[in-house]
Amino acid sequence: MVSKQFLVKRLLLLFPVLFGVATVVFAILHLSPGDPAVTIAGERASQEFINEVRGDLGLDDPLWQQYVRFLGDVAAFDFGQSYQIQRGTPVSQILANRLPITIELALLGEVAGLLFGLPLGILSAVRQDTLTDHLTRVGALSGISIPIYWSGPLLILLFAQFLGLLPTSGRIGSAYFVETQTGFILVDTLLAGNVAAFRSAVVHLALPVVVLGIYQMALISRMMRSSMVEVIRQDYMRTARAKGQGEKITIMKHGLRNAFIPVITVIGIQFGSLLGGAVLTETVFEINGIGTLLVDAISRSDYPVVQATVLVFAVLYTLVNLGVDVTYSVLDPRIEQ
Amino acid sequence: MSTETQTTAVDRGIIERIRASPFLSQLLSNRLAVTGLAVIALVVALAVYARFSYDLEALLTTQFGVNPDEAPPSSEYVFGTDGQARDIFPRVLYGAWYAVLYGTVTVAASTVLGVGLGIVAAYYGDLTDNVIMRTMDVLLSFPSLLLALALVTIFPEELGLWRAVGALTLVYTPRFARVVRGAALKVLEDEYTDATRALGATDPRLLIRHVLPNCLAPITVQSTLNYGLAIIDIAALSFLGFGASPGEPTWGMMLSNGVEFGLFSGAWWWSFFPGLALALTVLGFNLLGDGMRDALDPRMRETVD
Repeated sequence: MVSKQFLVKRLLLLFPVLFGVATVVFAILHLSPGDPAVTIAGERASQEFINEVRGDLGLDDPLWQQYVRFLGDVAAFDFGQSYQIQRGTPVSQILANRLPITIELALLGEVAGLLFGLPLGILSAVRQDTLTDHLTRVGALSGISIPIYWSGPLLILLFAQFLGLLPTSGRIGSAYFVETQTGFILVDTLLAGNVAAFRSAVVHLALPVVVLGIYQMALISRMMRSSMVEVIRQDYMRTARAKGQGEKITIMKHGLRNAFIPVITVIGIQFGSLLGGAVLTETVFEINGIGTLLVDAISRSDYPVVQATVLVFAVLYTLVNLGVDVTYSVLDPRIEQ
Repeated sequence: MSTETQTTAVDRGIIERIRASPFLSQLLSNRLAVTGLAVIALVVALAVYARFSYDLEALLTTQFGVNPDEAPPSSEYVFGTDGQARDIFPRVLYGAWYAVLYGTVTVAASTVLGVGLGIVAAYYGDLTDNVIMRTMDVLLSFPSLLLALALVTIFPEELGLWRAVGALTLVYTPRFARVVRGAALKVLEDEYTDATRALGATDPRLLIRHVLPNCLAPITVQSTLNYGLAIIDIAALSFLGFGASPGEPTWGMMLSNGVEFGLFSGAWWWSFFPGLALALTVLGFNLLGDGMRDALDPRMRETVD
């Protein structure tokens, strides 16, 4: 079990990190060239109007005041209003609508990666230095070398254009309307009891999930292999075999549990690359998650949206790593020291 | 003694040193790592060749009337032509130059920054260490591509792809700092450090002559792995529309244009070949980096038994 002390310590450590993250985001936006007041007022606005907007935004205040106000707003989850993308809409509302879309995609990508990566890694380790092993390893290295923005369009071309099996973009067919409850399209369609819509969502998400999952699969199988290779040689494995247990059961029962622990760390560390991959996947497949939101917001200088999105990504990443640390210590209590 | 025998003596010296170094001999016996090295050498050679034998102006301008537009690959246009009737083959080769150039600058800059910060943090400890490493931790708590996206905005647009280089340098620096700090701390604990200090060595001398050389192996591995990442991330930023200017023969830009304007109207070659070049180059760096890590970390070695 995790000790309460460890949990409290890890939770307390969150605060300085989040504080630092907020500071970096504030700094980035203030270092950026370009005047938000001009962005809001429009290029052709009069100087008086621009000054008025600047006053309203508090941009004339001393920097430290703006900083303190920013930290206060962030703590209250108040990210202001969008300048451009959905003018006047609170940013928190835009994020609430779009965040589940990205989380769903990322989760599915991770699950796909685990589903294929774990067996491949185990296979590679068990058949160490055979042709299977070499092929799997080169395959995994290729998987992390192929950019999503290349494999994605090519798969669309193959499966959507040539074979006509799958749709090219989006999350669900335009004919379906499903009430948003959780924001996860697969869950919402099921909650609505609309099987046809669910099927459409599955078909739409298949390619994005595969494209995003390839990278995770490659990472997971690599880590699983090297971790399993070590575990196979351990004494307790020999004991299990000596007891007359079959090799398969030995690997699955004793090997998997122990070999999986380092894989969890990799999942945590690589959650950042999963989110980066989600941004690219969303762009390629025209999915309106927070990834495309960030890209749009940056190219249209919608500063409040940029700030909030980057913050949310960093918080997500940090929380997942906290979760990973806690899981790790549950599986391997020695780590608490 | 003639010069000829002198060079052979030097050569033999190098070979003996390689044999004596478990890291290098381990690395060179790894077939995948050697393949990676060969791929990288080829890419660098092509990059340099393209840089000095093609005229960039000619690659940038449209070639309507000179070449057919969106012509499929043929013996005349090996990789086909794009929507501006430009021959894709020399553009892909020139893209190698950009990838090598921007990749090298990114990795070199983040290595130098990270090594400096890491060594200083390890050596001075206490407050210095805390300030540096906590800052690095904060930077590491952002997903890297997203931090790079946000950081691109702080550089003026005129800088073009150098914006991506600047942003990624800041993103990669903490990784080097962390690795180097760890390695440096280990060196500083060793007794020979105390001995050197007792002999009157100054701080800079101790750090540069003794600590740095002992951190070189992990630094090299980290640089190699980040090289591939840098190339893929720079292309990702130009794919997302931040960095390269339209028409510039970088792999990311060609890929982006090819997907947007050519892929679904049938001109698959427009984006296919730049993407292939990109993927193969990154694979080269990953193969080498992977082999280096295996050679460096005995626990990861394949042939333990």
